[in-house]
Amino acid sequence: MKKKKLYWGLGALAIAGGILVAADHIDAPSTMGTTADLADFYAFEPTLGSDNTTFIVDVQSNVLPDLAYGTFDENVLIEINIDGDGDLVEDYVIQAIPRDGRMYFFMGDAVQTGLDSEVLVDSPLGDVEISGTTAVVETTDGGVKLFAGPRQDPFFFDFFQFNAVIGGMAPGGFLPSGEAANTFDGANTLSIAVEIPNSSLDAPTATNALGVPAYKTWVTTNRKQ
Amino acid sequence: MIPNKIMYIGLVMVALGFVTSCSNDDNSPTPTPVATCTDGIMNGDETGIDCGGSTCDPCEPDGMTPPEFSGTYSQVDHMGRPGINTVFGADVEGEPSVKDAHNVTIPSEMAATFQVGYQARLEAYHDVYAGLLGLDPADVNYENNILGLDAATLTTVLAADVLDVAPDAPTTYFNPGIDNDMDGSILVPDGDEIGLTGRALEDDVIDVSLILLFGGMTGDRFSGQDLDDDGTSDLPRLTSDGVGITATLLADFPFAGNPE
Repeated sequence: MKKKKLYWGLGALAIAGGILVAADHIDAPSTMGTTADLADFYAFEPTLGSDNTTFIVDVQSNVLPDLAYGTFDENVLIEINIDGDGDLVEDYVIQAIPRDGRMYFFMGDAVQTGLDSEVLVDSPLGDVEISGTTAVVETTDGGVKLFAGPRQDPFFFDFFQFNAVIGGMAPGGFLPSGEAANTFDGANTLSIAVEIPNSSLDAPTATNALGVPAYKTWVTTNRKQ
Repeated sequence: MIPNKIMYIGLVMVALGFVTSCSNDDNSPTPTPVATCTDGIMNGDETGIDCGGSTCDPCEPDGMTPPEFSGTYSQVDHMGRPGINTVFGADVEGEPSVKDAHNVTIPSEMAATFQVGYQARLEAYHDVYAGLLGLDPADVNYENNILGLDAATLTTVLAADVLDVAPDAPTTYFNPGIDNDMDGSILVPDGDEIGLTGRALEDDVIDVSLILLFGGMTGDRFSGQDLDDDGTSDLPRLTSDGVGITATLLADFPFAGNPE
């Protein structure tokens, strides 16, 4: 009986919670649908064997109606945190914040950890015009590439079926390909992208679960107080 | 006629002079800002007060003053791996929001704060299917996954919500198709698999996550099997959501396609 209650509890939860969207899209009551709502985070080699790493952070999304979407908020600071030694405290931070149609990037040693930040005005990385439909890319003298603007949301997930699954309303689970639908098909998001030479970071001493040297990274949005 | 010709020549000379003074690739010295660049008014060919044009320093982007970045910015949202807060931080009505708490917790404190709740959530998801399959929830539990992680270890790893990024390895969130030594062990790490090295735009992070949560030791524990060959699935399909990427990608930076 107790388990049954939990089962129904989950069903009710999914309904009461309305629509929950992933990967980090619209994930929490306090940030849901605001200009500071993180949607996604990617980090990858731009080409196989490249000596650079590309980071992409998506904020805001128009995957559903009535969400804040379309303009970077000048009161929201985006941070990419990079930990090299595995203590889960950032050693470097890349910051991005818009002013008057341009996105300004900063990068430095993470002298400020924790939940509060100030802009690293003494460590500018560069700035780039916020793009319209066509991407405007700035490449700095230091080989850093910068971008900010609207993009297709590349995330893919049959999110409505997920809600049915966790709600106990889908006995068969997810749908086979062909019947399943990508909830994010056609959605746009606001992206910042920054590509840095790996040489601008000390090599990581931490490793991933498979023993490969790896940074521990995460992104945050931070609202001006 | 003659005055016009003189004017024409004069214009050419002005134009040539302009080109010379503006060119970046000649050997002439950089033009020295002239007095009009410090007189406090917009004159000459300046595009702002004492800035822009052919002789003064470039104007700041907003035309007048450099941007201002003062103040304190406090964290409101956090993300490392995709879907962690969405899947494990499910809120219960009437209780404080786990998702909100996650977003304002620093990663070094996340495992201690969230692991117990995440493990309970993992079991609760299995109980949902026990109910749907008509089985006792006590009999349908998480099974160690393809990485060999038990429920406590997996949720400890996932609770610390950070993304591994390997600077010197090919990027894949996890590629279940790579088995370099062809030993048939595609998913269980035996040293040759590549994974957990970052996240590319096309990586199917949802399927990987589902495999790790519901796939058991083989990766396909709940994958819609038809156990009695009657043409219908007897087990739920929980290891793939059935969709692939639909967005357009670009070959070069910034890689994500133009908005639709």
